[in-house]
Parts: sequence; C-alpha cells; structure tokens
Amino acid sequence: MYACLLMNGWAAEIESPDLVLLDIAQQYSPRVAWTGEHTIVLDLTGLERLFGNTRAIGESLRGQLADRGLQTHVAIAGTRTAAHLLAVSRAGLTVIDPGGEPAALAQLQIDVLTRISAVAPDLRVSMHGTTRFYRSSPVQELVRPRRRVVKADGTPRATPVAGGVLSEDLLTTLRRWGIRTLGQVAALPGSELAARLGADGPRVQALARGEDAAPLVPVVADERFEATLALEWPIDGLEPLSFVLSRLADPVCAQLDRRGRAAAILHVELRLVTRVSWKRRLELPSPIKDPRVLRTLALLDLESHPPPAAIDAVTVRVEPTAARTLQHSLLERARPRPDQVSTLMARLSALMGEGQVGRPVLVDSHRPGAFEMASFTGEDDSYAGPSFSSANDEHEPVRAPALRRFRQPIVATVVIEDGRPARVRVSAHADTIAGGQVVACAGPWRTSGDWWAASTWDHDEWDIGLDSGVVCRLFRDRRKDRWYMEGAYD
Amino acid sequence: MAPATARATLEALLRDRKLDATLTAAVPLPEQEADRLASTGIPAFDGPAGGFPRGQISEIVGAVSSGRTSLLMSCLAEATRRGELVALVDALDRFDPASAAAAGVCLDRLLWIRGDEGNRTRVVGRAIKALNLVVSAGGFGVVAFDAGDVSLHALRSLPFTTWMRLQRVIAGSDTACVLVARAPLARSAGGSSVRLEPRVPDSTAFTQRVIANRHPFLDAPSPEAGARGRAPRHASAAVWAGDPHAAHRLRGLAVKAHVQTGLRSATSALEFGA
Repeated sequence: MYACLLMNGWAAEIESPDLVLLDIAQQYSPRVAWTGEHTIVLDLTGLERLFGNTRAIGESLRGQLADRGLQTHVAIAGTRTAAHLLAVSRAGLTVIDPGGEPAALAQLQIDVLTRISAVAPDLRVSMHGTTRFYRSSPVQELVRPRRRVVKADGTPRATPVAGGVLSEDLLTTLRRWGIRTLGQVAALPGSELAARLGADGPRVQALARGEDAAPLVPVVADERFEATLALEWPIDGLEPLSFVLSRLADPVCAQLDRRGRAAAILHVELRLVTRVSWKRRLELPSPIKDPRVLRTLALLDLESHPPPAAIDAVTVRVEPTAARTLQHSLLERARPRPDQVSTLMARLSALMGEGQVGRPVLVDSHRPGAFEMASFTGEDDSYAGPSFSSANDEHEPVRAPALRRFRQPIVATVVIEDGRPARVRVSAHADTIAGGQVVACAGPWRTSGDWWAASTWDHDEWDIGLDSGVVCRLFRDRRKDRWYMEGAYD
Repeated sequence: MAPATARATLEALLRDRKLDATLTAAVPLPEQEADRLASTGIPAFDGPAGGFPRGQISEIVGAVSSGRTSLLMSCLAEATRRGELVALVDALDRFDPASAAAAGVCLDRLLWIRGDEGNRTRVVGRAIKALNLVVSAGGFGVVAFDAGDVSLHALRSLPFTTWMRLQRVIAGSDTACVLVARAPLARSAGGSSVRLEPRVPDSTAFTQRVIANRHPFLDAPSPEAGARGRAPRHASAAVWAGDPHAAHRLRGLAVKAHVQTGLRSATSALEFGA
C-alpha cells in the first residue's frame, strides 16, 4: 500500500514546508519519493505491525501533519498513481482497500490528470544543516502560539498544464469524444487508443487505471558524516589524540557502513587552545570505511603536520562515496587491499619524506632521466590478466642493460686523446665508482633542450668502458665545458 | 653423547622452535614448486635456479657493471608481466625509470621508495625500516632492496638481528625478497645467492648508432682534438646509422653468474642487451 501526501497549505512561520513534509514522511517509512510539487508518496508495506491498519496509519499521518502546521490531503491506495490521483481530487483522508482502486478512480473527472505533475522540489541546498524534528513536550504544546494557515499559492491550487501528465490538447480531444471520467478512459480499447493518440494513449489509460509505470525510487537524504568531541581538558601530543580519533572514527564509519558508503575524503579539524582551527584534508586513494585505517591515516598525517598548540576540540568529517566492490580473480595473485596500500603509503611517506614514495611515471621529454612521481594505489586498470608467456617465447623482449643513475652527476676529470675520452678520474664518490683507463667508448650523442627555460641542458654523452670492468655514461656539459659521470651500467 | 646423537638432538630442538630452515647444510632442501619461485625471464638463470624463492631472502652480489641491476630489472619485469605488484627500496636513489621501462617493467605496478645521498648509515637504517614496512604489508610479488652502492661498512654496521627479523616476517608469504649488494649480505636458508662477475668490456660491446629520438645527425669527433679536460671539437662529417629502432647505445653487458640455492650451485654466462 502507498500513501500520498499532498500539501496545499502551511503555517506562516514554516520556512521550508517541503522539508517538513519530507521529514514527517521519513519518520514513517524510509521508502519515500516525490511525485510532484508539494506531493510525496510513502511505501506503507510492513508498517501495519507498528501503526495498525491503513486507516490508523492515515489518521496518524494526518495528526502529525496538522501538529507541524501543514494542511494536506492524504490518500492511501494499492498503487502510487491511484493514491496520487485520489489525493489530488479528494480532501481529507481517503483510504481505498486493496482491489478497490478501479472503482474509486472510475468516478474521477479526467481534469484530474492535468493537475498531477512530476516536478520534485530541489532540496539539495536546504537539506544541509537541518535537524530532525522530534515531538515537543506537552508543556510546549500549550504555549505554542496559534499558527496562521495560509494557502500555498491561491485557492484552489492549480498545477500548471505544462507540468501535468495530460496536455490541454489531449484533454480537448478526449472531451470531444464525450469522455468525462477516468473510468471511461480505462474502458477504451487499448489498441484503438494507441492508434489514435500514439504513445500518449496507453500512458493516459494506464494512469486512469491507476497503474504505476515505474518502480518507486526512494529519496536518499544527503547525510553528513561527522563527529565532534569537545575535550574537557586540552590534550597535547598525538598519543592521547589517537584515542579521541578512534572514538570519533568509530561512529562515523558505522554510519558509513549502514548507508553502504565509504570515505573518499577525510577532514580532521582541531580547535586549538589559541582559538586557531587546525585543518587537515586527506584525499583517500580508495573508498575506506575501516575506523582503524582512518585513524592511522589521520595520525600519520598529523605526525608530519603537527598542530602548534594543545587541542580543545576534535572534529572528524568524511565526504562519502559509493563503497568499493571487488571481484577477486582465481588466476591472479591476491593484491593488498586499498586501505592497506593507503596505510603503507602514509607510513612510508612519514618515514622517507613527501615525494619520496610512489610510482614512477615517464614524461614526454628528451631530458636525461626525466620522470615524475605519482601516487601508488596498487590498482592497475591496464592489466588484462596474467600472460603465460615464458622466457622461451619467440618474442622475448630485449633486455637492455640497466643504468644506475646518479641523481647528482659526479664531477669527472677526463683526458681526451684523438677526440675521445682516454682516461677518467673521479675524485668524489670513490667508494661508489672509480675511474681508470678507457678501453672502449662510443659517442658522442648530443642532446639538448629547454633552451627557453633556466633548466636548459646541452650535453654530449659518451658510453665508456674502463679497464676495471666498469661501464658508465659520461657527459660533457657544453655550456659549462665540464665533464660529469651520469650513471653506471649495471 | 655421541656426535650423531647430539646432532639429532640439536636438529630436533631447532625443529621445535621452527628454526629447521637453517639446517640447509644437513638437510637437502626439497625441490621448489614453480609457483613458489619468482622467475627472472632469463633462461640462463631460470634454468638452474628456477627463479628467486618466495618467502625467502635472496641476494644478487657483484661489483659495479656486473649486471646486478639488469638481473633485478629482469626479475621485476617478469613479475609485473605476471600481474604482480613489485616494490623497490632504493637506498641511494639510483633507480632509472627509463631503463626499467626499457627492460619491460610495468611502472604502474612498481612501488618505488627513494632514499637519498645523505648520511649513509642513517639512510640505510631508514631504507631497512621501509623494507620491513613493505614486506609486512604483504601483497607484493617481489620486494627488492637495492644497496648496490652502499658501502659495506654501513651495511655491516646494522644489527645482526636485522636480517633474521626480516626473514621471520617474510617466511611463508608469497613475496620474494631480493637484496642487491656488493658483497654477500644476508640470505635465508632457502634463498638463492647470485654472484655476478663483470667482464672487461671491449669495443664489440658498443654500437655507434644514434638514438632516433635525438639528433639524427651528429658531428663526429675530429682527430686533432685532444687537450686534457677539453671537449672534442667536432668536424662537419655526420655519423648516422639510419636505424630508427636503435634502442640503446651499449650493445650489452656480458657477465658470469654463480647461483647457489641451498646445496645446489651452478655457473652460467649471462648477457644483457645485444
């Protein structure tokens, strides 16, 4: 069974009557949907054990609505369309027993189809910051000022034709045929109606019969996932803070879990004794709803960015996203979970420093050794499954000798003979690499770029083999006219 | 007590404490299943050894230009080709992403932890901590620790329990831990030890081809240039091999590998590139 609440007036002091209507409806059922302007539909399935029969539910709804200062029509029927049509056409409470919808709708004038629309109010902005309404005490009922009831936008309330499900032209056509009631529309032969009116014919007939064209899509409230704790005594240091964060993360994650959501962004706000608000924002690489992981990530971040004073109050807020679903593969080795990777990355960043941990990405540049660091998530969309190729395959990749690159090139002294390096001496880093006599070499390869920027380079590169067995890459900086050792092949 | 009895008692005690893996000298290790080995994709290496054992610490030992990094890159490339995640703890920040990509490593599956050139002892300590974190997290097919340019003094100043603790963490997991160093550092009882020896390069190891994505024409060095520390002055003659697919200038590194796993040992010749 469905109940339709159509609001046609409210108390003057109510700023957002639609919000009040939605709040009352959600107190009865979580399956609530807007079906038009100031009109909402509830799914009453299973509520009989809580509130009694459908008439008792309707009476309770009307009582609640009147208490909150709303004037409404309430209709209860087996389908949403029937309840909606009855709420539009009949004032007060209308309850139709199951199976009685065709008879109840048959008497309604076809004009009623022009007065139902599918416009839902936009509540996204006004939803924030509102609190749920709870019944006030009897004393407050006595002192509550008398409310003046006004009509929403005139009497009787007329829904614009453009927003109705039946256009004016179609209504004129039906009247010309002599049709006055919904029962007459429902009795028309469907195929003949479709042949004359097109797709509108069956649609209007389904409405006249009270049939629902689509399932109910419940309104999901835009929830805030936030918890705050004002401390009795200021705390200093991260160790006591970890307990506070645990206490805050637990209810937030439980709320996320109930809603099938997970954290995408974690906000930690610390109000300090100096009246300064210390805010940290953590973008999580994957949706997380484990309170221990969130606490660890927040703590590791605060270790790197500690607050400058003692803490008075702590707020944890989460921006939610859809929870992650994962299909494991039988052919692939298990990978670490995203929350494990997030924690690992946070720990490694705290240990090694920002920017020292991640995934290398080659950049489109001829600059020697150019790369960028990207965050490592453990996810790899490009992976299409394990390849069963072995080393004996015909298309075995060429394994080029790897280069061990010195991030700070080592200054070298080079003796040139016949235009080629003949001897190399390296003063610094003698424990890493030693110079010697050049026994073989190749080059030079000239590379330059970024002439328009301060980071310009202009090198002549050589690959040399030394008598000690070391094979390395030298380059001459043509701008400074100096030699450097760029790396060693290994 | 007879020596045989004493030995049996000792081995029983070690088994009780789950330390029987250290009895490699007495008990031959069973043949490892292929699934428990991280192959390198190099037939000359995988033939005798099968790859680096998972759940064990293995090491690649050798001097500069002995092919340690190339062997490691090959192992990482093979692991990423199988779809595994790999991690590289780079103590002195020597990793070259372009070389790794050329060797076939899928960089999207590589976690790179970069050290720095600061105080060597402190750098090594931090790198070891990072290695412990990565190994403890699990889920990586191969975890490599590159200390190839770290002085032996800095490595040997680590507490002797470091590697034993690491072995206890990694035991039983699906992760193959590979250390790269100049000299033997640490190897668990079931791990492999690869000792590489460089060969003195000759002129055949090099190619004069010019990389295609750089200057297609390049001045050849003039014979008269040769002052000490001075750059060669180039003549106008151009050298151009005309091969747009020349990927590297060094033809290859030829090295000799001694592989030891438990009591088994083998020697083979490896060549990278060419």
